[in-house]
Amino acid sequence: MKNNPLRLLLALALAILFAPDLRADSLADARARYADGEYEQAAKLFEKSLESLPPQASVLFELARCLRQTGQESRAALNFRRALVLDPRFAPARAALIETNTDLGLPKPGKNWRDQVLERIPMDSLTLAGAVLFWLGVFAVTLLVFLRPSNAKGRFALGILCLAGGAAALALAWSCDPRVTDRNTALVLTTGGASLLSAPADQSEKIAAMPDGSTVTILSQRGRWFYGRLPDGKRGWFLTEGIIPLIPPA
Amino acid sequence: MTGNFYMKRALAILVPLLLTVSSLCAQEIVAGLSSNRTQVGGPVQLVVTVRGARGADVPQTLSANGLQIKLTGRSTQFEMRNFKMSSTLTYTYMVLPQAEGEFTIPSFDVLIEGKTYRTQAMRLSVSGSSLASQSPSLPQNTAPFPSAPPPSSAQDGRSFFGDLVLAKKSAYVGEVVPVDLRFYFNARVGGQVGERPNFSGEGFTVQKFSNAAKREQVVNEANYVVFSFQSAITPVKAGALDIPPASLDARLQVPGKAPQGFDDFFSNLPLPQGMFSEAQDVRVETNTQKLEVTALPKDGRPADFSGAVGKFAMEASVSPTKASGGEPVTLRVKVSGQGNFEGMGAPTLVGDEGWRSYPPSDKFHSADAIGFTGEKSFEFPIIARQDQTRTPGVRFSFFDPSTGKYTTLTQDPLPVDARVGASATPPPVPSQPAGTAATPPPVPPSTPDITAMSGGASSWTALFFRKGFLAANAAFALAWLAVVSLFSIRLFSASGAGRTLARKKQSRQALAQLRKAAPDSFYDEVSRFLSLRFDAPCDQASLAERIAASSFPAEIKASLHQMLERHAESKFAAGRGVSPSAEERGSVLATLTKLRDEK
Repeated sequence: MKNNPLRLLLALALAILFAPDLRADSLADARARYADGEYEQAAKLFEKSLESLPPQASVLFELARCLRQTGQESRAALNFRRALVLDPRFAPARAALIETNTDLGLPKPGKNWRDQVLERIPMDSLTLAGAVLFWLGVFAVTLLVFLRPSNAKGRFALGILCLAGGAAALALAWSCDPRVTDRNTALVLTTGGASLLSAPADQSEKIAAMPDGSTVTILSQRGRWFYGRLPDGKRGWFLTEGIIPLIPPA
Repeated sequence: MTGNFYMKRALAILVPLLLTVSSLCAQEIVAGLSSNRTQVGGPVQLVVTVRGARGADVPQTLSANGLQIKLTGRSTQFEMRNFKMSSTLTYTYMVLPQAEGEFTIPSFDVLIEGKTYRTQAMRLSVSGSSLASQSPSLPQNTAPFPSAPPPSSAQDGRSFFGDLVLAKKSAYVGEVVPVDLRFYFNARVGGQVGERPNFSGEGFTVQKFSNAAKREQVVNEANYVVFSFQSAITPVKAGALDIPPASLDARLQVPGKAPQGFDDFFSNLPLPQGMFSEAQDVRVETNTQKLEVTALPKDGRPADFSGAVGKFAMEASVSPTKASGGEPVTLRVKVSGQGNFEGMGAPTLVGDEGWRSYPPSDKFHSADAIGFTGEKSFEFPIIARQDQTRTPGVRFSFFDPSTGKYTTLTQDPLPVDARVGASATPPPVPSQPAGTAATPPPVPPSTPDITAMSGGASSWTALFFRKGFLAANAAFALAWLAVVSLFSIRLFSASGAGRTLARKKQSRQALAQLRKAAPDSFYDEVSRFLSLRFDAPCDQASLAERIAASSFPAEIKASLHQMLERHAESKFAAGRGVSPSAEERGSVLATLTKLRDEK
């Protein structure tokens, strides 16, 4: 009995030490099952891994592939999209999403200038570089303003450039990072889709159909109703059931 | 009788006034051929219609190689609809072809009331044989349509009629057949037409419609405005296909009767046509057509045939041509030509065992309004499983309706330098005879290494919202505030206002000390206070000078001088020191407090 706390501590330390290996094993198991064609089991194992590991685009992609093999196209689309949120440069996920959307009868996701930026620049690096440049510029300009050294025009211009460049990089990251821009985006995951209504009431006028796998931007919530906007700009109310946020809640 | 007389006079004034107002209408010029196909020696009419003008200068002859073009007639027409006046001038040219070929009637200038307008150029196809035996050619950016005689309904002088023209009478399942829906309205009838015709049926699908093209055409010596909508149909089953009529809704202004009781009066006036018109909703229908549809042959169908029917060419490119570390390269395949771009599948990759390929994305660029002619690009993301020097080859099969056979296009592998690892040494390229495909490298284990393909973030929270990032930025912001505060304080201290403030503070402290001072040091403290207050050395002469120069009232100045004397007395008088009475202390303190508060 005396040794119990010590044993408990030892077990905890061992668990912490070996837990990543165990999780890696479950991922390897999921991949092996996928290779053997056991897609449902593989999907469950991938989902389990995602619960315990930090999210990874590749794991989400593999999960989506399993779901697609089991005929769950809209859930596959959700996970392909999630993979692209984490890694917008993940070309196979983009190609697979296009194919899944085609199967769902949805339009191909369009490419805009944000996608062009995302394909070229990693957002975390851009944010970090922007912040560093911004503060460098701020401190340089502040010191030059107060100390007023002679012949400092060049240094002053450099400071302003750093400040403006940093602010621009931060603004670009803010407007491109899908984890910022898509934080209110959700997918319709109901068989047969949902309906966009003119008022939060079952009998109100139907504005548009929201097909299974389609995206919607949630603007507000009232009880069991969401108020949102479709990609074509139409706004209206829809039930919260079957509406899954693109970025999983923390 | 008298009332009728006044009404006649009023109208006699009103009618010319309305005719004058008509000159304010917008001017418009439209030119068109009665037919864009004919044969040598077969004349066609070129009609130039000028609206909103009383007169125009047009050339008597036009020069175009192989064509004789002469002005043969001119007519003027005034119309009034619901008191809105319009005039139409029509100039008719006779175009006589003298040789076989494709001709362009050049645009020419028309002078209207001092302003020069230009007509559009027109194309005329002239054949040596009869019209019926002609096969449609394919002018650029337009869908192919044969010239069709206007339906018999035109001959009975109707105000409107429709015509459905198919590019061909027989087709294969899946083949795109351009269709032209023409709706004719007599130029004397005004009105509005719907944006799109209604056209659908069983056994075929209909492409989107082009925007309506408007032109003028002379049919049986009557001038018609023609609205032409182009589209294409794709038969989906074999057999004789009945193409139902298309219809177009229109609201026309048709001539009506004068109001009851006015018939006799208006019949005696030379009023323009359409003075009294009424709106009428009509549905204009075209004729029906028949299309003989044949199933695609099963014999000779390539395994990779994916439904493309038409005539196509293929080219491919790869970018980037160098990739390392398992980066994907894009194999771009362009399929161009005429056919069912919407229904065609992607080309297939050949010899792609050494590559990991993914379903391609596609993009269609249409060269005409109906998506019949164009170019479709397929982009295959491919990732080398092992170091590669050549891309996979490409195969594309389609059915050519003009020959009735399947055709397969192939593209040889393209040179590329794709490495699995960044520092991998390039593998020796086996020498091979020119024109043969590279031997595919051995296939690696089938477990896909997806983790190698993706990177990206490992958190759902953007850096902006992460605690570490926010804390670091808050720390930077605080440090910046501290720097700004420090420098601001230093600057303020060095300034006059800062010094004054510091002196006032010291004065307050000195006065506090004075209240507690012992009797023998009381006037020493008074002198110290005055030195701080007047920012002067603590000697009597300097202080006296400052007090004299100050702007204080005379009685305060006198009190201060007295204090200085008492200080001197306390320092230098025999007996060393002055012990001020409580009353004197009170008086001095009151004066100095007043002095402290004075600005």
